Amino acid sequence: MTSTVSSAISMTMSDAAEVLKGSGAAGESLEVRGVFKSFGGLKAVQDFRLSLPPAALYGLIGPNGAGKTTCFNLLTGVYRPDQGEITLGGKSLIGLRPSEIAFTGLARTFQNIRLFGELSVFENVKLACHLRTTHSLAGVILRSGWQRAEEAAIRERARALLQVFNLHDRMDESARNLPYGDQRRLEIARALATGPKVLLLDEPAAGMNPQEKKDLRKLIREVRDVFGVSILMIEHDMGVVMDLCERITVLDYGVPIAEGTPHEIQKNPKVIEAYLGKE
Amino acid sequence: MTALVIWQFLWPFGLIILVPVVLGAIGGSAWRVFWPLALALVVGVLMQHQVRTNMDAYSSKQILDVGIAIILAVSLTIVNGFTGQFSIGHAGFLAVGGYVAGSITYYGSFALFGSAGATLGTMSGLYGAKEGAAFVTGGEGLFLFALLAGGLIAALLGVVVGLPSLRLRGDYLAIVTLGFGEIVRVLIQQTPQVLMSKDAIAAAKPLSVPLSVGGSLGFGNVPKYTSLFWVYAAVVLTLIFAYRLKQSSTGRAMLSIREDEIAAEAMGVKTTYYKVWGFAIAAFFAGIAGGLYAHTIGISLSPVDAGFQKSFDIIIMVVLGGLGSISGAAIAAAIVTYLPELLRTPDTLMKFAVVGVPMLVIGGALLAMAGKPDQGPGKKRGHDPRAFPRAVIGLGVIITGLSILAFVAKRFGINLSDYRLILFALALIVMMITRPQGLLGVRELWDGALYRPLRDFFSARRAEGGAA
Ligand SMILES: Nc1ncnc2c1ncn2[C@@H]1O[C@H](COP(=O)(O)OP(=O)(O)O)[C@@H](O)[C@H]1O
Ligand SMILES: [Mg+2]
Repeated sequence: MTSTVSSAISMTMSDAAEVLKGSGAAGESLEVRGVFKSFGGLKAVQDFRLSLPPAALYGLIGPNGAGKTTCFNLLTGVYRPDQGEITLGGKSLIGLRPSEIAFTGLARTFQNIRLFGELSVFENVKLACHLRTTHSLAGVILRSGWQRAEEAAIRERARALLQVFNLHDRMDESARNLPYGDQRRLEIARALATGPKVLLLDEPAAGMNPQEKKDLRKLIREVRDVFGVSILMIEHDMGVVMDLCERITVLDYGVPIAEGTPHEIQKNPKVIEAYLGKE
Repeated sequence: MTALVIWQFLWPFGLIILVPVVLGAIGGSAWRVFWPLALALVVGVLMQHQVRTNMDAYSSKQILDVGIAIILAVSLTIVNGFTGQFSIGHAGFLAVGGYVAGSITYYGSFALFGSAGATLGTMSGLYGAKEGAAFVTGGEGLFLFALLAGGLIAALLGVVVGLPSLRLRGDYLAIVTLGFGEIVRVLIQQTPQVLMSKDAIAAAKPLSVPLSVGGSLGFGNVPKYTSLFWVYAAVVLTLIFAYRLKQSSTGRAMLSIREDEIAAEAMGVKTTYYKVWGFAIAAFFAGIAGGLYAHTIGISLSPVDAGFQKSFDIIIMVVLGGLGSISGAAIAAAIVTYLPELLRTPDTLMKFAVVGVPMLVIGGALLAMAGKPDQGPGKKRGHDPRAFPRAVIGLGVIITGLSILAFVAKRFGINLSDYRLILFALALIVMMITRPQGLLGVRELWDGALYRPLRDFFSARRAEGGAA
């Protein structure tokens, strides 16, 4: 692949590979089995299961309140499952703190954008590179050679990522001053900066106009191709989901009611019922 | 001539300064370790030297107060500004550092030198040592050790106070920190009388000796080592450290917690770890400031120093300066410490109008000239060509307001300094309404982004000119 004007990623494949060097985008699969979660009496998620192979692009859909975001929160350690198994590359994620899960290789975006608003675009991405640094506080105080080398590496990596996402000319702007669509893309860039194996996108197209949605489709596909990460995506826009996703899981009232290719899902009577109600 | 005098003070340090210069020349990384120390020494010596030549006793004490306030404000910035945990008991750490250091030098001097008198070297004591004093003395070594010990004990307590911040948020955490300050205050009140002689110390139970710090009677007998040298050397080191922290990946991790804790954790930031570190670092520097305060001439440590009143003063500095801004906190610390003095001299304050009124006029004119926010390249979100004129007018209003206030006060014979706290409260309210992020926000004085309003103003003007 070469860098083209029409491409959403404005960098060559080799450039991008350089950016992600040493971030461990190696092929590892995410396995979820029998995960339950209730909030008081509300059974938010019941028997959620998923098998996400390396470099896959899967979708998670369902009506509002079906428990999709809760699934993401369970995967990333914001909530602890009542029962069930979650493993990444064979390593269990149950009971780990969200920061440890991020270190293991699971990164996410948020349905209600959660950027570091006062910090600049550049700093948002630089921060996400922090988890792979190893220098100590003493290194910070003394400005040790190692600390400065790591800071330089962070700057380079963050700059390259922003170039990939075409955000580099707004690098010094406060994140909160970006237009909405750019904020969504910055969240993806920030998540990628953590060096993930699996990327969870929570309604990335929400609030975008048709042109932005079209660009986003291209962007997501290229992120998967270029960076080699697996992507699990929650999305309401069926155009985006059906176009991008190889397989789709459908949640309804916290229960996975169907799983399959977009074609299978579209024809599944249970899915139609969940979305349109019983005839 | 002055250069010669300064050299007389500096030459013994020559080696310490020369070493990093040489290292820097050969390109060693050790330069980065040593230059802050060298700068601290030079600034300290310059400040100390100024006292002997230019300043009267009163002014030098004020400059010293400003220095200590800067250390306190910058240290609180690390908790409240960087990690965003709202601590309102910071004076507790100041008191702990002060009492620990004071007790060490006071009783340590008895043990080591036989009496509690300070043995001042050239660089110690607010008004300097006597003619012919030794260049450095053992007493100063003890003082330095005591400062560090006070800082470290305060840092330990910082960890203890920081731990609840892992479970508590916002108001609840603030109440815990408030409680901490009050506990320190009450505990100090319970301490026994200061032991005034060698015999008294010998007669007392050994373990109770260091705790005999005077209770509510205060602890005024601490040897008076603190000088502009020590204070401003500490100011320089505190500022450099805080800035290095802020510029580092670790500092960004702290700032991200303040911005959005959930997102920070999701990006791999160990939020609990950094929150506790924030408390520990802030407490360390507050403890150092406390130690410097305790050894200042004319100061008698008292339990009140741990109280809410004192904590509130520090919070005002941090909030006015801009939560997260090191230079903002330092500037606000200087203003808040110096303002009461200005309020005592209404004549000086009235002269402020000379600056304030033109600022109002110029600001008004610029505002009239400024384009609308949706014109030209200022169209991007967050760009407003009117922000700069507004800032000028805002500052003008404050400065002119102060001089009008001084005029009115003089006219009716009101002593403005009696109303210091009301004025600060008012300033805080006005700030929260007009510029809630504080003077500099999260930026530093030298950040380009701080001057964006200026750029927006001129770029909008240029765009208009081009269109016409
Ligand atoms: N922390 C929580 N406490 C209580 N109820 C929750 C919590 N988080 C989510 N829920 C509930 O769980 C259900 C699923 O929510 P969510 O996962 O956000 O749905 P969606 O599929 O729209 O993302 C909703 O009924 C929501 O109210
Ligand atoms: Mg949701």
